[in-house]
Amino acid sequence: MNNIFSYRNPSISEGADGLLAGMKIALQSSIAVAGWPMEAGSEALEGFKALEDAAVVERLKQNGAVISGLTHTSEFGFGINGSSGAGRAVEQKEADAEIMLDLAGEARLAAGRAGLWGFKPSWGLIPRLGVAGLIPSMEVCGILAKTPGDIRAVIKGIAGAEDRDFSQPDLDFSDDALEDLQPKKMTVGIIEESLSALSASERNAFDEEVDELTQTGFSVKFFSWPDYALCLVVHKVVGSVEASSAVGRYDSVRFGKRVPGAKNWNEMYLQSRGASFGILVKSYLMQGAYFQFERYDAYEHACRIRSRLVKDARRLETQADALVFPVQKAVPTDTSETLDGFYEQFTHTAHANITGWPAMTVPPSAAGRPGLQLVGALQADAQLIALGDYLFQKRRGGK
Amino acid sequence: MEFEAVIGLEIHVELNCATKLFCDCPNNPGDDPNINTCPVCLWYPGTAPRLSGAALEKAALLCLGLNAELQPKSAFDQKVYYYPDLPKGYQLSQAHLPLARGGWVDITDEDGSPKRLRIHHIHMEEDVAKLVHEMEGRTPISLVDFNRAGVPLVEIVTEPDFRTPHHAMEFLKALRTQVRYVGSSECSMENGTMRADANISIRPKGDDRMNTKVEVKNMNSVRHVGDAIAYELSRQSAVVRAGESVVLHTRLWDPDKKVTLPMRQKFEGPCVPDPCVPVIELSPEEVETLRARLPEMPAVRAERFVRQYGLSPEEATYLSSDPETAGYFEELIRAGAQNRAAMHWLTTQLLPALRERRQDLSRTPVTPERLAALLEMLTKDEINANAARDVLSCMFDSSDAPQDIVKAKGLGQVSDTGALESMIDQVLSVQASAVADFKNGQGKALGFLIGQIMQASGGKANPKVIRALLTQRLSL
Repeated sequence: MNNIFSYRNPSISEGADGLLAGMKIALQSSIAVAGWPMEAGSEALEGFKALEDAAVVERLKQNGAVISGLTHTSEFGFGINGSSGAGRAVEQKEADAEIMLDLAGEARLAAGRAGLWGFKPSWGLIPRLGVAGLIPSMEVCGILAKTPGDIRAVIKGIAGAEDRDFSQPDLDFSDDALEDLQPKKMTVGIIEESLSALSASERNAFDEEVDELTQTGFSVKFFSWPDYALCLVVHKVVGSVEASSAVGRYDSVRFGKRVPGAKNWNEMYLQSRGASFGILVKSYLMQGAYFQFERYDAYEHACRIRSRLVKDARRLETQADALVFPVQKAVPTDTSETLDGFYEQFTHTAHANITGWPAMTVPPSAAGRPGLQLVGALQADAQLIALGDYLFQKRRGGK
Repeated sequence: MEFEAVIGLEIHVELNCATKLFCDCPNNPGDDPNINTCPVCLWYPGTAPRLSGAALEKAALLCLGLNAELQPKSAFDQKVYYYPDLPKGYQLSQAHLPLARGGWVDITDEDGSPKRLRIHHIHMEEDVAKLVHEMEGRTPISLVDFNRAGVPLVEIVTEPDFRTPHHAMEFLKALRTQVRYVGSSECSMENGTMRADANISIRPKGDDRMNTKVEVKNMNSVRHVGDAIAYELSRQSAVVRAGESVVLHTRLWDPDKKVTLPMRQKFEGPCVPDPCVPVIELSPEEVETLRARLPEMPAVRAERFVRQYGLSPEEATYLSSDPETAGYFEELIRAGAQNRAAMHWLTTQLLPALRERRQDLSRTPVTPERLAALLEMLTKDEINANAARDVLSCMFDSSDAPQDIVKAKGLGQVSDTGALESMIDQVLSVQASAVADFKNGQGKALGFLIGQIMQASGGKANPKVIRALLTQRLSL
């Protein structure tokens, strides 16, 4: 159990009636459950207990779900390193679904590793209120489950506007009007530039996964997105600037680890923050502060490039029913605590956090393969889940 | 060499909204420390700022009241710096896309000519917590009061159009009047709801260059602003005359010593667009709806008062400088008072009496209707001015009609010549020397005699009738 949960619900009850009755949900410890520790994997929140339920938790409880516990998480949900227990709760049947932040692709990659379906909803579909985040304009609660059907059920229970958070767009999730999916009438698009960074063996594996789609009847079309590689650069710059501000509130004054012996407040801030943040987050914050204080012009360029990339994305998403991306490159484990290593891991997922796209990782069709990633049009989350569900049923021999 | 000053102001105005800018906490910074706080204004993990619609509205009205142009799109930025008065490491302010640009305030220059002082832009921001420095025994301690954290502010940044302390003081007074008119703030420098910082530089007269400026803070009255600017101008002139150059820095006004002193520069960080407060978009229709809610502004009202009520420009400007006074004046007239009497009694009797009693026009029991009734008796010679003043002072403590107070106190004016003749007889018989003085050509003696007769009547005699009767008697 301890390799999964950092905190376990001390009084698991039956749960109430509702949309999610009988479902057990595991949460990342960045998500507030009133009275429970909310440490978000960081010593900067050491000893902090949530004051109120996050909007997501409120909705889960209202819909009859049971919160099984808080899972081990990397610091502020940034990256998926060794200490992260993401995906294990579902893998080991401790929960039917897990909810965790997806800042650059964490929820999707963690699902892939655990052989699960991982879904990153459109930005803003799930309320962030009560979630200790890091990159407000990119992060969204992702969902990991054994089936797309479970993901759909959870989304139905937690999606939609939250009137206490004005930054959340007024989106709704509904799949009531969806028609039956007809692969022969559908096209999946592949971005040529997304394949250029793959090794020969990675490319082979990707092609094999795509073959499954074509055999099912989907037609495949190639598109060019010359600026594709800039997604990662923009994520690095804008993400680190937002992160640097977002954790400004962790000052060891009201909660969190405080280093004793400082001579004045400034020393106390510096020493406590220095001792609280881990190496990866610290590197990210340093980088963000660098862009804020020294290279603001570069940050402005990145923002401008981002709006161009978002326009590209709005255009691309109209040209196919879904886009297919590889999932990840193989990353040597000794670089997982460096920013370079981090971004190498998320090479093929970070674009969805830049553009707001919904994205879903499909578990490998056979052992030894990496699986693949499907991306839908912004706010077309229901269609994307339906597509995943179709593939799932197909694999089980249905349809 | 003669120098001229180049001055620009940065004015913070605290909006009089019920709540803070990003949460529902009461906007009462003066309450017991840390009472008005919540997870949002303390920025606990997972909280989201909710921009107050009321604050946005008050800020927008303020902009329109200062002739500024509301921008179709404005947004909040994070002013990044780490200090104990900021619970999240940045202050939310509008650095890149302010709520409004342009605008102006008209004042009268020292030589009586009109002068227009331009505004560069107006933006919204949140106030920070208040630090209180105390001693605990021999240990200095600093306490943080978060009541003020998140209180809605508007900052007005002017063009460097000001040349004299007079400009700055008149600008602040006119701005205060206009903001009070739109109802967005009390703008009291004494109570801290308006704070002004001045950027001051000098240059040889006739030059059009902008030289190194010095920022002066900590003036808490309009007069201090004038004094601080005057001091700083003479200080900078002396520096330049001594062959040295002015250095960019911040100084604090010391109101006791009447000097500016250098202060340690607070570190200013960068301004980054905030990803959590939504962008504010105002359509032309929304701007027009807001504009329709603007009241008649003071300059326009003063002009109308001159036209409509025959007041002098000075009187009209004085009455219009406070929306409540102007409103009371017009209600007084609507209730039947005559223009001159209304003007005179409001400014010389009622307002001083209110100040003495620490009341204000909106809550005084002396309503316009009651005062008008009193003035009507005066006009009809039913009472004299002395009696009217007595009745007015009774009206603060009694809800009786002025007519009833006059009756109860027997203050009705005696104009009956028979009754007055006998009083005159009585006084003349004991004041023979004054009578003699008058007959010897000393006109002052008449006033003395009238005063004696008034006294004998208990203040109730009609002085006009006495004068007529007396003149007649003495000239026989």
